[in-house]
Amino acid sequence: MIVTGWLLDVFTTEITNGVVLWLLGEDGQRYRFEHTFLVTFYVAGPPERLRALWRFLQSQPESVRLSRTERRDLFAGPMTVLAVEVSRPAVLPRLFQMVSQAFPDLTYYDADIHIALRYSAAHRVFPLALCQIEADENSEVKAIQALDTPWELDPAVPPLRILTIEPDTDPGHAAPAQLIVSYDRCRYSLPLESAQALIAGLRATLKRYDPDLLLTTWGDTWLLPLLQKLSKEQNWPLPLNREPVSSVIHRKEHSYFSYGQIIYRGRQVCLLGRWHIDRHNAMLWDDYGLDGVLEMARVTGLPVQDAARLSPGTGISSMQFLTALRQGILIPWHKHQAEHPKTAMELLRADMGGMIYQPIPGLHRDVAGIDFVSMYPGIMVRFNISPEVPRAQDDLTPAPGYPGLVPQTLAPLLKKRLEFKSALASLSRWDARYKPYQARASANKWLLVTCFGYLGYKNARFGRIEAHEAVTAYGREALLRAKEAAEELDFTVLHMYVDGLWVQRADCQTPRDFQELLEAIRQKTGLPIALDGIYRWIVFLPSKVDARLPVPNRYFGIFQNGTIKVRGIEARRHDTPPFIAETQMQILEILARAPDADHLPDCLPAVAMLVKKKIASLRAGRIPLEDLLVSQRLSRELQKYRTPSPAARAAIQLARVGKQTNPGQRVRFLLTRGRPGIHSWDLPKPPDPRTVDIERYEELLLRATQTFLEPLALSNKNCLF
Amino acid sequence: MGRTLPSITQAFLQEQESFARFRRALRRSDQIALDDLFASARQHLAAAGYAAHALPFETFLLCMLLEEHKEVMRLRQHVEQLLARKE
Repeated sequence: MIVTGWLLDVFTTEITNGVVLWLLGEDGQRYRFEHTFLVTFYVAGPPERLRALWRFLQSQPESVRLSRTERRDLFAGPMTVLAVEVSRPAVLPRLFQMVSQAFPDLTYYDADIHIALRYSAAHRVFPLALCQIEADENSEVKAIQALDTPWELDPAVPPLRILTIEPDTDPGHAAPAQLIVSYDRCRYSLPLESAQALIAGLRATLKRYDPDLLLTTWGDTWLLPLLQKLSKEQNWPLPLNREPVSSVIHRKEHSYFSYGQIIYRGRQVCLLGRWHIDRHNAMLWDDYGLDGVLEMARVTGLPVQDAARLSPGTGISSMQFLTALRQGILIPWHKHQAEHPKTAMELLRADMGGMIYQPIPGLHRDVAGIDFVSMYPGIMVRFNISPEVPRAQDDLTPAPGYPGLVPQTLAPLLKKRLEFKSALASLSRWDARYKPYQARASANKWLLVTCFGYLGYKNARFGRIEAHEAVTAYGREALLRAKEAAEELDFTVLHMYVDGLWVQRADCQTPRDFQELLEAIRQKTGLPIALDGIYRWIVFLPSKVDARLPVPNRYFGIFQNGTIKVRGIEARRHDTPPFIAETQMQILEILARAPDADHLPDCLPAVAMLVKKKIASLRAGRIPLEDLLVSQRLSRELQKYRTPSPAARAAIQLARVGKQTNPGQRVRFLLTRGRPGIHSWDLPKPPDPRTVDIERYEELLLRATQTFLEPLALSNKNCLF
Repeated sequence: MGRTLPSITQAFLQEQESFARFRRALRRSDQIALDDLFASARQHLAAAGYAAHALPFETFLLCMLLEEHKEVMRLRQHVEQLLARKE
């Protein structure tokens, strides 16, 4: 039998010998195949220890095949290792755990690689690849072949069946009364009070509709655990998996520290043969949605459920693993390159980030924003920066030799990102392709962005701080060369920020006027640079603490086409109440109507009217309480606060009623009068609207307004309000 | 985050902090002038960072001097214009 279709899932179970494949056939049928698949890990160490390991493995009940072989370590070059081939992939994690505990002194390679990645590397397929499978009558795969590549801009889209289940309210806030189930054009609700009817209803839907994707809200943390519990109590199995096994995969919740922030990941529930994605637990869902998740799976090689929940850091290392597996490069279980010793002076020069200038504060007209396109990944690819490749003598010259592992992994991704970018630029916003392109471009962007960070991450298997430092050094050099090019052409450089600069010259107002500069920069750096746009006007804001000090990333401006760009102001901050953020954006929209900076004062009456109206609704209690919520992240455990922040006080309120919050989790609260000054939104008792601290919100609103008006020299509080 | 050395902004704030006792003992009017000097040095943090000098305070002093000299140049130009107008 030969079937063509999209690869939905690859996994192993205890009862299968190889891997299980689920395929969505072009004919609309869902197929299950099995494929014999051997997995190998490698061990290096002193000969007598390897012999001891050999004897140990032969005494195990699990059948393994042992051999001596030569493989390549990325840094040390070819080396002789012991290959341990396991016939049942599901056994490998357990066996490896035993071995690594018994022989902790040995060095292990390829030991903890996701089965889907191994399969991807061996058979050149990837999640959602359009595949042709040749199988025998027992559905055992004889041959599998991908008909497309992860790098296509317009891959054939599988006709997925999506079943959405969501509770009617946030279960962390109040107890939901019913579940809303929808698929195709059907939509119905199931009351939660009758467990029997609920399970029966869902069971029928799952069986009849047989979805490929179970899309939920709070499914990981609340819904699926609840459904499992109910189904157990009712003694009525719920076919959540498509694979005929009853158990689902659970992963525990945890908090971790990344980029100066505590991040909280809730527990996860993954299914077999069918995907479960929880919109609230999926990484960056708001950023790129399902299109982005599927794109992530295609390019990283990780199964959809993992791709939905992973951080882009895991994504980029998976891509590096794929490159390594395909080229027979060993993937160390633990990283073992240490940093080379440096002198203090070397460290002083190397341990720097991107170049960030202090802008010239105030209002500027006819300013061009120009950006290096994907600067850091571009540098890695163009100048061959990889942990194993020695750095070139001069900055901004390619390191000699064959492209390293990192540039090899990145090159197709970068190419695709640039293709998306130019496709997006030529598409109209109303084109049906625009949104999915944007989502997928965003997924690619995240991977590229994190790749740079991963070069310097202490646990990255193929990371090396020197390579990371080389990237930033090249970045600084490129930016300085760009500045020099601009100044040679008599431009004023108003601001520079890592990979972008803002320049101005009295006679330059149209994109064509800046072409000469772009070309000069391109020639001096060898990196692609593009005009982000020309601002009718832009304001670089000074520090809130001291108006004499400029700050690098707080500005707002209007492009010539009327698009608004803001950074660092209240509306961009996640803790700002929606009411304030929304008002700020509305004010900007009013200011954007001015044809040029000279006409800004004409907008003042409209702004004053808007703010007056907003304050009136606030005082009259017409603003929904949800829009007044402040949402802040807990930065540590509650007992570690010396003076509790408002977020901590809200969390303490929650703790008193038995609701636990972890570091990295967001807490939402209202500002109220008197003590403790806040009311946690997720308390069972709803807040009394009369206690809302109207004056505080008014103050926040006025401050948010002043952010715009003061630097525009439009501020005259008395005339305004 | 993941840095071995303090960033140039941190180094600047530490240097400024180390003069807290000095600043406290100054007259109010002098305190304001001192704050101005530090604020002017702060405008050149990117360049000071790029310089990667082992003793950053020397660079900060030069930054202050730079801003002072810019002011002198501006005033000189102004005076010359005024004088030219008189003649």
